[in-house]
Amino acid sequence: MKKLFTTLSLLFLVAPVISETVLLKGGLVHSGNGGAAIIQDILISENTIVGVGNNLIIDGNTRVIEVSGLPVTPGLISPMSNLGIVEINSLDVTRDDESELLSAGFSIFNAFNPHSTGIPWNRSNGVTSAISTPSETSFPIFGLGSHFILDGSLEIKGSKDIAMFGRLGASYGSRAETLSLLESLLDIGKMANSMPVEEILELNIADQLELQAQDIIALGKVVNEDMPLVIETNRAVDILQALAMKQKYDLNLVLESVEEAPMVLDQIKASNTPVIIDPMDNIPNSFDELGSSLDLGKMLDQAGIPIMFSTQRSHNYHLMRQGSGNAVAHGMSYETAIKGMTQTVAQTFNLDNRGSIEPGKLADIIVWDGDPLEPASFPKIVMIEGQLQDLSSRSSKLTERYTNTENKPSSYKH
Amino acid sequence: MNNKLLLPLLLFTIIGCSEGFNVEFSFGDSKSESSNLEIDNAFASTYAPMNSEPMLFKSANIYDGLGGEFRNYDLLLSEGKIIEMGESITAPGVMVIDATDKWITPGIIDIHSHMGVYSAPGVSTSSDGNEATSPVTAEVWAEHSLWTQDPQFALALKGGVTAFHVLPGSANLFGGRGATFKNVSQNTIQAMKFPGAPHSLKMACGENPKRVYGNRRQAPSTRMGNMAGYRTAWIEAAEYTDGMNEKDSDRRPTRDLAMDTLMGVLNGEILIQNHCYRAEEMAMMIELSKEFNYKITAFHHAVEAYKIADLLAEEGICAALWADWWGFKHEAYDMVQANIAIIDQARNGSGCAIVHSDDAVGIQHLNQEAAKAMAAGNRAGFEISKAHAMRWITSNPAKAAGILNQTGSIEVGKDADVVLWTGNPFSVYSRAEKVLIDGALAFDMNNPKIQPITDFDLGIIQPQTNRVQ
Repeated sequence: MKKLFTTLSLLFLVAPVISETVLLKGGLVHSGNGGAAIIQDILISENTIVGVGNNLIIDGNTRVIEVSGLPVTPGLISPMSNLGIVEINSLDVTRDDESELLSAGFSIFNAFNPHSTGIPWNRSNGVTSAISTPSETSFPIFGLGSHFILDGSLEIKGSKDIAMFGRLGASYGSRAETLSLLESLLDIGKMANSMPVEEILELNIADQLELQAQDIIALGKVVNEDMPLVIETNRAVDILQALAMKQKYDLNLVLESVEEAPMVLDQIKASNTPVIIDPMDNIPNSFDELGSSLDLGKMLDQAGIPIMFSTQRSHNYHLMRQGSGNAVAHGMSYETAIKGMTQTVAQTFNLDNRGSIEPGKLADIIVWDGDPLEPASFPKIVMIEGQLQDLSSRSSKLTERYTNTENKPSSYKH
Repeated sequence: MNNKLLLPLLLFTIIGCSEGFNVEFSFGDSKSESSNLEIDNAFASTYAPMNSEPMLFKSANIYDGLGGEFRNYDLLLSEGKIIEMGESITAPGVMVIDATDKWITPGIIDIHSHMGVYSAPGVSTSSDGNEATSPVTAEVWAEHSLWTQDPQFALALKGGVTAFHVLPGSANLFGGRGATFKNVSQNTIQAMKFPGAPHSLKMACGENPKRVYGNRRQAPSTRMGNMAGYRTAWIEAAEYTDGMNEKDSDRRPTRDLAMDTLMGVLNGEILIQNHCYRAEEMAMMIELSKEFNYKITAFHHAVEAYKIADLLAEEGICAALWADWWGFKHEAYDMVQANIAIIDQARNGSGCAIVHSDDAVGIQHLNQEAAKAMAAGNRAGFEISKAHAMRWITSNPAKAAGILNQTGSIEVGKDADVVLWTGNPFSVYSRAEKVLIDGALAFDMNNPKIQPITDFDLGIIQPQTNRVQ
């Protein structure tokens, strides 16, 4: 069966699907909504899931792909990546994740490179879309993240400037100053509701903070239009400060890292704040993270707090599978882990029509060769908006070249 | 706001070691005949195993770390050693542990760690891994930086790590000596040192040394500058070694700590662990080793090792690798997940592949990293079993650290450094349930009393509780 399956998927790679109906038959479907997986068929028409069930009616033109019990999940969504905006971390000339001029209003959207090598690599590992973010700066707000579909197309698909990113904690100077600075920025955002940007720019505070019009407009969206604000913070008392700020300004707050969250679970839960965590980071890397532990995922899950996953290192955002697998090994529920890589991200960041396998959703779907939370598993099929994706990457090309035993220089093995 | 470079640079300063192994130079029996026996004994290990009692594991599944897999076997440990492995062992009066459906492996060994020299929290006052003040600092020893209360040791122990090799960082061409430790909580560095384990010398190729010193407008600032720096040092070391071999003690040179280390390499007592990413640079380092007649034990990080897998196998050089980290710098761009498998399978399976961490999180999950590397190899067309892949995190790193005679496999007579896993160790869901070092229970998942809590952890968040419970 395995061999047949490979042949089938190869067939599709050779002949990309053009607008047709596809039935993924008999997969163990994790819908991404937190429910238990069941064996089901998935019917896809053009770019959309049109049916999920066991007795779907298909016509003679439907292409049937036997999935035969393999696990199926929605395409994974990285909530925090640098895909398409950083090629090589140590080379500034390959990075577009930082602005000299802007802060809160810095948008990376127009820098996105759909040909970045990280895109096919992450796609072939099951990540079908990602939020790319500006990098951390000495200013507590770094800028705006955008959501990108990882199909490699020059016609860039995604949602521009969907969330703002910042931090609170030990870094540059006192966190008291950071808090006061954050509040000043949010106050400015509030003003944008009633004052023209040109007038706000004239204010002393705007001048002191070297704000540009774009910064003020973006802050206005966070305070007045419910744009998610993602704040990286770890120390228990800082988490409480962030939650107080959420309440004061009625923010759509997302907390990231939160290594000391187990000490303030009730408050996080009561505030309906979702979190992004790296479940494998149990190192007390700083004096902000002394409470760091592998139990973080379990504790958050048991408190009913929505969880998403970041990764320790850049370039391999699919490793959130390994991270969430470790969280499950330490007590998080399996379906929370799957949901955290799919629907929770879509819901938190308003990525409508994605993140779950349900009729009406866009068909971002992965068929896995084994348990998706096992690091050794790998996708058999990657589908983005109904299109079967080529699973090759620069890495797979190098592998082919260096496992080719022909006796000639490697440059001629292609 | 221009701190873009800061994070990667900080990261890089903690990257990089390389090690090599050399079976014929097993520690202890190869003391130099030259004049510096007393030097070798400086800062010697005072390690003494914790108290243990004989233990019999019944009905376990065992990977022996040498490629063997044994189902439903018993394992008897006593007086710190592995006494017997067999299908039905009886040992009256001995504590019996039912290991049905569980797995036993040798203790996991990491050949590339900076625990204790880049301790947690990662504050500037604990940044003790790179003596980045000169490109040649063969005189420094990583163990002299070690902080015994680093909470990372205990976290690695929970991941099944029973021994680890601590290296200086990769800022320098010659970073200094590395040392191997048993993963035991002790208040002195010598009490943690693996008895009889040889020192290593950390060398580094490529971007790191040329960046660190090039940015200061001093040599090396290029890869050719790196090579000139190594060669100059080895020329001096060869002269020093000749001088130290003079029969007439008056004609011997004044003792020099850096030259002692390089001489130790030339005498085969100190193993070269060489941080090196690119294929042609590794080949160049092999040429260098031939020019000055020393042996490279292992290349570390070696993202491009797969491109010269046959050469490494022929030269008997190990490659200590990550499963999949890449992209953080240019020399780490050509990552393939099958790297470890390709090294392993080279020259009819005679390659020496090691999964290393260089990271305090990674060291806790070397079993999972091996699982990824094995799966990638099998997708690339190899047929690598779990029993075989277990070598990458046990006997192969033991070989590269020069401690394979004592640990790294389940064999009668070896140190009883073993891990009992809740399930198959290649699964993300399996955890180290019991970790034994020299037969003593160092960690027990189900017994809080047998879980080390460092002085650092004690009452640091709230006085009533400890950082880790």
